Amino acid sequence: MENLFEKWKTRLPKYREVYKELFDLFSQKYGAEGEKKTDRGKHFSTHYELYIFAFFLGLYKNEFSPIQDGEKKTDFSQTIQYWGNKTSLIRKNFSGIQENIFTALIAKTEIDLVALEKGDLDEDEIVKQLIRSMESYTNGGLSIIKEKYEDSPNYFLQPTCFLNLILESSPS
Amino acid sequence: MIIKKIQIENFLCYYNEKSFHFEDGLNIILGENNEGKTKFFEAIEWLFNGTNTQLENLVSSKKFKEITFEESFKVSVSMVVENTNGEYKISRSFLVNKTKNNDIETRGLNFEGQETDLATGRRIPINGQELLNAIFPFQIREYSMFKGETELNIFENEEALPNLINLFSDAKPYQKYTDKSRFLRERAHQAVKESTEANQKNQRAYNILESEIFDLEREKERLNIFLSSTEDQKSKLEKNIKEAEKFVDNAEALSTINELIKKIEEKITYLNSKIDDNYTTSLFDEYWILQNFEPIHKEFVAKISEHSKRRRELQSQFDQQIGIRKGEEKAKAELINNIIPLPIGTPSKAHMEEMLHDEICKVCNREAKVGSEAYSYMMQRLTEYLETQKINDSELDTKETLFKFDYTNRLENLSISHEDNLKNIRLIETKIKDLFEFNDKKKKEIESLKEELEKQIKERERILGNSKIANEDKLLSIFKNYTSWQEDLKDLNKDFYDLEAKQKEILKKIESKKEDINKIDENSAVAHLLKTREILNDIENIFTDTKEKKFDEFITKLENKSNKYFGQINVEAFTGEIKFSKKRIGSDKVKIEISLYESGGRYFVPGTAVRTSLNISILLAISELANEENNETYPMIFDAPTSSFGETKTGNFLNLIYKTSNQKIILLKDFVATNKDNNTLFIKSEFNSINRKKAFWVKLERPFDDKDLSTMNTEVITL
Repeated sequence: MENLFEKWKTRLPKYREVYKELFDLFSQKYGAEGEKKTDRGKHFSTHYELYIFAFFLGLYKNEFSPIQDGEKKTDFSQTIQYWGNKTSLIRKNFSGIQENIFTALIAKTEIDLVALEKGDLDEDEIVKQLIRSMESYTNGGLSIIKEKYEDSPNYFLQPTCFLNLILESSPS
Repeated sequence: MIIKKIQIENFLCYYNEKSFHFEDGLNIILGENNEGKTKFFEAIEWLFNGTNTQLENLVSSKKFKEITFEESFKVSVSMVVENTNGEYKISRSFLVNKTKNNDIETRGLNFEGQETDLATGRRIPINGQELLNAIFPFQIREYSMFKGETELNIFENEEALPNLINLFSDAKPYQKYTDKSRFLRERAHQAVKESTEANQKNQRAYNILESEIFDLEREKERLNIFLSSTEDQKSKLEKNIKEAEKFVDNAEALSTINELIKKIEEKITYLNSKIDDNYTTSLFDEYWILQNFEPIHKEFVAKISEHSKRRRELQSQFDQQIGIRKGEEKAKAELINNIIPLPIGTPSKAHMEEMLHDEICKVCNREAKVGSEAYSYMMQRLTEYLETQKINDSELDTKETLFKFDYTNRLENLSISHEDNLKNIRLIETKIKDLFEFNDKKKKEIESLKEELEKQIKERERILGNSKIANEDKLLSIFKNYTSWQEDLKDLNKDFYDLEAKQKEILKKIESKKEDINKIDENSAVAHLLKTREILNDIENIFTDTKEKKFDEFITKLENKSNKYFGQINVEAFTGEIKFSKKRIGSDKVKIEISLYESGGRYFVPGTAVRTSLNISILLAISELANEENNETYPMIFDAPTSSFGETKTGNFLNLIYKTSNQKIILLKDFVATNKDNNTLFIKSEFNSINRKKAFWVKLERPFDDKDLSTMNTEVITL
C-alpha cells in the first residue's frame, strides 16, 4: 500500500519538554469539556489540541524551528490517527484536520518523491522527515505562545485569545 | 410625699458620703454614660427592695482599697421624705470588713425607719419596711420608678394595674360592702332554703333542682374559660393581622417583584446558554483553524502537480529510451509540440466512453464526429487505457520499470478532494463574523436584561426599605401567614359565637331552674324570709355594680389623662390614641390591656420612641390620678427615659414635666458634651433654657483608670 498519509498517522510527534508547562497550563490532560474545562482556566480539551494549534500557528507564521539534537523531548502517547476522532454531545469529530496537517507537511517539506517512487528512498525516511517538519512548526508555534504568555498572561483570560492568535497570523 | 434628700455612702462608685438635696417639682440629674447615673437609680432600688445577697458586689472599690486588714466601713443608702403627716427617714446599710486575704466580708444588713415628731423634733425609730409601705405603697412604687427604655415591660404584669386601680379608685371602699352583702344574701338564701326544706315533700324536688343548677353552673364556668381563651386567641390573631396589614401590601409587591426577577434571571441564563464563546473549541470542531490554510493548500497542489508532471516526463523519457510502451511513444509523437501526455486513464474510462458516445470532446468543448481526427484520438486513448488494464504474463516477468511505487496517485486524490474543501475554508471568515455578531446581539440583550434586573432589584430594595421589616423571608412569610390568619380568625369568630350562644342557653336554664326553686319557696317558705332575701339580693347587686362602675370610671379617667400627656409629649408628631380595655379572666379577675389606635379605630404598633412616650404618659397619668384620689403625691424617678427622643424632644419633654404637679427626679445623659480641645466634659448652654427646680451633675473624679474600679469616685455637683 503506497500511502504516506496512512503511515504518517501512526507516528507520535514530540515537543520540547520545556513546553510541558504550557500543556499543563492550557489543556486538560485526559480530556474535559464544559464547566470542568473552563473552571480550571483550560482552553483546550486535550493536549493534542494545543499541539495542533501550535503547529498551525507556526505554519502560518512560518516559524520553522527545528528541535535541536540533544534537546529533551516528550509526547503525550497518542498517535496522530486518534487526534480529534471522537464525537460527543458537545464535540464534533475533527479528524479531517489530520489531512490538512499532512498536506501542509508535504507542501512544506523538502522530500524527494521521485526517489521514493523509484525505490531509492525508504518510505520511513520520508515519514521521518515529515514528522521532523511537523515538530519544527509546532516548536515554533509553542515558542510564540510562550512568549505571548510571558509578555501578558492576562491575554489568555479572554475566550477569544487563541482564535485571535490564528486570525492575526494571516500572512496578508 | 416628696423626697427631700438621698444620701449614698460607699455604694459602688459613690465613694464616702454623697448627698442629693431635692426640691418638689422637677429635679434633673445629668451625667455621661458610666459616670454614676444608673448607679444612683440602683441605689434607690436597693434601698427599697435590697436583700442580704451579694452585698460584696455593692461595695465602693476605692473605699475598700483604702482600708487595712480588720478595718471596716459602712455602705448605706438613705432617703429623707416628707408628707402631710411629717418627716421620715428610711435607710438600708451594712458593714464591710477586710479579711486577711484582702477579701470583702459583709455583715449587719439593716433596714431602718425613723419618724421625726414635728412638734418636738424627736426622732422615733420604726420598722423600715412598714414605714416604706405606709409612705410609699408598693402598688404605686411599681409605677414610680422607670429604668431606661430597655425595661419597657412595666405594663406586662397582668395584676399590677388592677391592683393599683383598686388601691386608688373609689371602688376600693365598696369592696367591704360587696363582701358583706354577699354574705348576708347567702345567709338569707340559706334561711329560705331551710324553711322550705322543712316541708319534706319539697325537699326532694329542691335537691334535684339544686344539683341541676350546680351542674349548670359548672358548665357555665367551663364555657367561661373557653370563651375567655377563645377571646384571647382572637385578640392575639387580630393583633397579628393588624400588624401584618402594615406589611402585606409590601409583601405582595415583593412577591410579585420576586417572580419578575426570577423570570429575568431565567431569561439571562437562557441567553447565556445560547452564547457560544467556546472559540478555541470551534478552531477544531468548525475547522476555523484552517482560516489561513488556502495558500498552503495551493502550495501542496502545485507541488503534487509538479511532481506528477515530472513523473510522467521521466516515464516518457524512460519509455522512449527503453521502447517498451509503444502506445506512449505514439501518443507522444501525435501530441502537438512534443508535450508530455496526461497520465493514462485521464480522463477516466467512463468519461471517455461518454464523450465518444456524444461525439464531443468535453475537455476542449469541440465536436468530435465519428471518423474525425479528434474522435480517433479519443478512441485511441481509451484503447490504450484498456490495454494497460490487461495483465500480460510476459510483462509480469520481464517488465523493466522506472518507478517501483506509485505514491503520486494517492497524493493527487488528496489534492483533488481538498480542492472542494477550499470553498469551506473561504466561508470560515464569514462564519466567525456571523457568530461574533450573534454573540454580540445576545450579549446586548443580556446587558439590557441586566439593567432591567438591577432596576427590579432596586425596586425590591425600596419595597424592603419601605417596610419596617427589612428581612425578605420574614416579609414573605407574613404574606403567607396573613391569608391563613384571616381564615383562622373566621373560624375563631364562629367558635366564639357558638360558645356565646351555648352560654346564653345555659344562663337561661339556670334562670329557669332558679325560678322553679323560687316557686317552691313561694309556695312553702315563710313570707318575711322571702322578702328579706329579695332586699339583700338587691343590696348586693347595688354594691357590686357600683364597685364595677367606680373601677370603670377610674379606667376612663386614666385613659383620658394618659392621652392628654401623650399628646403633649408627642406634640407635632403622630400620637394615635391610647385605649385601656378591661378583660375578664375567669369569674372574678380582670386584666387591663393597653393598646394604641389610629384614628378610625385601626390598631397601631408603636415604635420605640412612641412606646416610650406612651408608657411615660400612663405613668404621669397614674401619678396624677393617685394624687387626686388619695390626696397624696408620690415622687417619680426616671432613669434615661428619653434616649430615643433626641435633645430637642427631650427639652420639650422636660418643660412639660416641669408643669406637672408632683416631684420628679430624672436622670439624663443629654446636655453633657466633651470639649474637643482639652477633652473635658461640660454642660451645654442649651440646658439653661430647661425649666427645673434643681439640677445635679454626676461625674467621675478625674483622672481615673478605666480598668481599675478602685479609682472610681462619682462626684455630685449641684448646678
